[in-house]
Amino acid sequence: MRLIIRDDPQTASKYIADYLIERIKAFKPTPERPFVLGLPTGSSPVFVYEHLVQRHKAGEISFRNVVTFNMDEYVGIPRDHPESYHSFMYKHFFSHVDVNPGNINILNGNAPDLEAECQEYEEKILRFGGIELFLGGIGPDGHIAFNEPGSSLKSRTRVKTLAYDTILANSRFFGNNLDQVPKMALTVGVQTVLDAREVVIIITGAHKALALQKCIEGGVNHMWTLSSLQLHPHPMIVVDEDATLELQVKTVKYFKSIEMVGDELGFRQKLPRKRDSLIDEVNTQAPKPKANGIRLTVPQFNVSRSASPVLEPMSARLTDDEARTLISVDALEDSPTSCMSARVVC
Amino acid sequence: MMPSFTPLYGAPTRPRDTSGVIKFTNCLLVKGNNLVKEDLWVSSISGKILNGQEILYEHRTAPEEIVDLGGRILSPGLIDTQLNGAYGFDFSVIPEEGTVAYSKGVLRVNRNLVATGVTSYLPTLTSQHPEVYQKALQYLGPSGTARDAAHGSESLGAHCEGPFLNPTKNGIHNATVLQAPINGLPDLAACYGSTNLQFPSPIKLITLAPERPGALPSIRALTERGIHVSIGHSEASYEEAKAGIKAGASMITHLFNAMRPLHHRNPGIFGLLGTASSWVRKPYFGIIADGIHLHPTSIKIAWNAHPDGLILVTDAMRLAGMPDGTYDWTNGSRIVKDGALLTLEENGKIAGSSIQLVDCVTNFLNWTGASVPEALKAVTETPAKMLGLGDMKGTLKEGADADLVVLDLQEVVGGDKKLVVDEVWKFGMKVFARAEN
Repeated sequence: MRLIIRDDPQTASKYIADYLIERIKAFKPTPERPFVLGLPTGSSPVFVYEHLVQRHKAGEISFRNVVTFNMDEYVGIPRDHPESYHSFMYKHFFSHVDVNPGNINILNGNAPDLEAECQEYEEKILRFGGIELFLGGIGPDGHIAFNEPGSSLKSRTRVKTLAYDTILANSRFFGNNLDQVPKMALTVGVQTVLDAREVVIIITGAHKALALQKCIEGGVNHMWTLSSLQLHPHPMIVVDEDATLELQVKTVKYFKSIEMVGDELGFRQKLPRKRDSLIDEVNTQAPKPKANGIRLTVPQFNVSRSASPVLEPMSARLTDDEARTLISVDALEDSPTSCMSARVVC
Repeated sequence: MMPSFTPLYGAPTRPRDTSGVIKFTNCLLVKGNNLVKEDLWVSSISGKILNGQEILYEHRTAPEEIVDLGGRILSPGLIDTQLNGAYGFDFSVIPEEGTVAYSKGVLRVNRNLVATGVTSYLPTLTSQHPEVYQKALQYLGPSGTARDAAHGSESLGAHCEGPFLNPTKNGIHNATVLQAPINGLPDLAACYGSTNLQFPSPIKLITLAPERPGALPSIRALTERGIHVSIGHSEASYEEAKAGIKAGASMITHLFNAMRPLHHRNPGIFGLLGTASSWVRKPYFGIIADGIHLHPTSIKIAWNAHPDGLILVTDAMRLAGMPDGTYDWTNGSRIVKDGALLTLEENGKIAGSSIQLVDCVTNFLNWTGASVPEALKAVTETPAKMLGLGDMKGTLKEGADADLVVLDLQEVVGGDKKLVVDEVWKFGMKVFARAEN
């Protein structure tokens, strides 16, 4: 886990935007091999989008070969409703950059079959080879996307009923009329996020301090779904000072020192070696010994770390013949059970 | 649940280079009383304003062209509801060569006018003999049906300023051609031509004096036919003016000019701006903000009385843009042009103006302290609404015509502001760009 602490939301957002741009550039995406990016909505990411748009307009980054997948969308409000996440993304990002409209993916909350829509979304992510980097934010209760407290940490894209608190909180965007507030949403699951090769989370503001504390210092717990990030091989959380209010001083100092030491060695945390490029660069990128001859054993990128999660279902690894001979899991579960007494021989 | 949307440019499989979708970016859009930092999407094929979000998500179309306006203002095209002529051409004069020359003259005005930012207007006829109307009107009707940007500025229909006016408030109109519509509709038909009063009429607006005999039934007959009526060149008392509004009139032609001034015991036509009740609406009103026709304070008073009704008009005539001197006018009169000031030679009366509409907006900005969008509203949204075209013209709403003006707001000496027309787009096509100095 990398935790990057910045003074305020603006600089934290700038850090993420810069990081994202470096990652996309290093990836050298092409139409055949696009950079697959997961994207959030919400108040925290607004500044990130602002920076990205600014840098795009300055001609420093193109999103032409970036494929985007958004985290979530309300069910049952028109796509052009000002509070829809389609509208949010249009307003803050898509209308300002050169993302190919065909590469934009947002769950359709008005799909005739919502379950099928979610299933198709997962499959589409797989078709693109999984998400390279998932950018996210969290709610004050530590939820990521609409995976509110108690969501399964193995969850996949699905229809989710919103918690009453969330509906209440959202009513301010819908004329304070509870009837107007969507009660359901489509959202990627916790596992969908964890499947991304890299996860970057922005958390800003004192009201999210407790959530950050629970997710970093607490154990993995479905009541704070972001805590599942502890099980991810490449998570990074970028926060402002306010968000660290509930953390122990030790924790804050630890993460700050990590960043500092890395910087001193000219080994910034910013650009992890990508799996694809690892083989080429492994020999050239080894750190030079310091002039004083003392070699610090700063953890380097781990060449032998496992590859990113396999994103295909297990069944895809079977040949057709093997598949045919297997009894489906459904069939097993559905087999009738008889009560014990019936087995007693008279 | 999905909002319906008719594809404007063929199947989505068409190659991108023919989508005709243009995105204006880095611009300040005039929306209501605000300048909003947003993008605007238009189609050069349909000539309409698009819903960018719909284009992106539903049609998966990227803009074919991105126009970076560098922070300048993007306004709906300007609308002039009172333009008597320009560039040496007078809508009220049938040339000796005949009507073919007349129609060519109209086209020439249209092509020149569009470069001033006026993308649609009402060609205006002063009081004339019936044969002039019956020859001219067929060339002045709405001209936008072809939706061809090459035609220049678009007529929304003719404005007949007269001849059913009050001879005592004739201004520079020839008093001998003025009449009273004593018999109502038959008199109107005899003057304008009966076919010209049938739907769809080439006439969009008629200025008349409501106190004249037969005027009130005439107003009712006209508004029933979809022709708007404006009160002007009139001696009407407040009560007579109010009767005109009740009969269906919805506007006042060049407020303050050619009417009784406000008197505290008889507020006259101006008094309509003080009236607001459930049964009589405050009318729209034209204002000539050329610095000659009206004192700036009068304009400010009128604006404060009814900000949503103020429509800036030029009342410009054919000498607009011509050198100073004395020129022949209609009916044997002559006009002296001295800079922007135009007067009738025989009596020194003000004879229309030669100002451009965008300069009226600049004057209005500096005189009233209105914001830029408030001032632009008086030449876009308000006139469009007055004409019942609020969804098509004078707005940047989705589905409206992509008639656009790119404006540069400059600071001039003394802290005054100045609006300069940098680019003009008609039906989604660029038709004018100011040459770089």
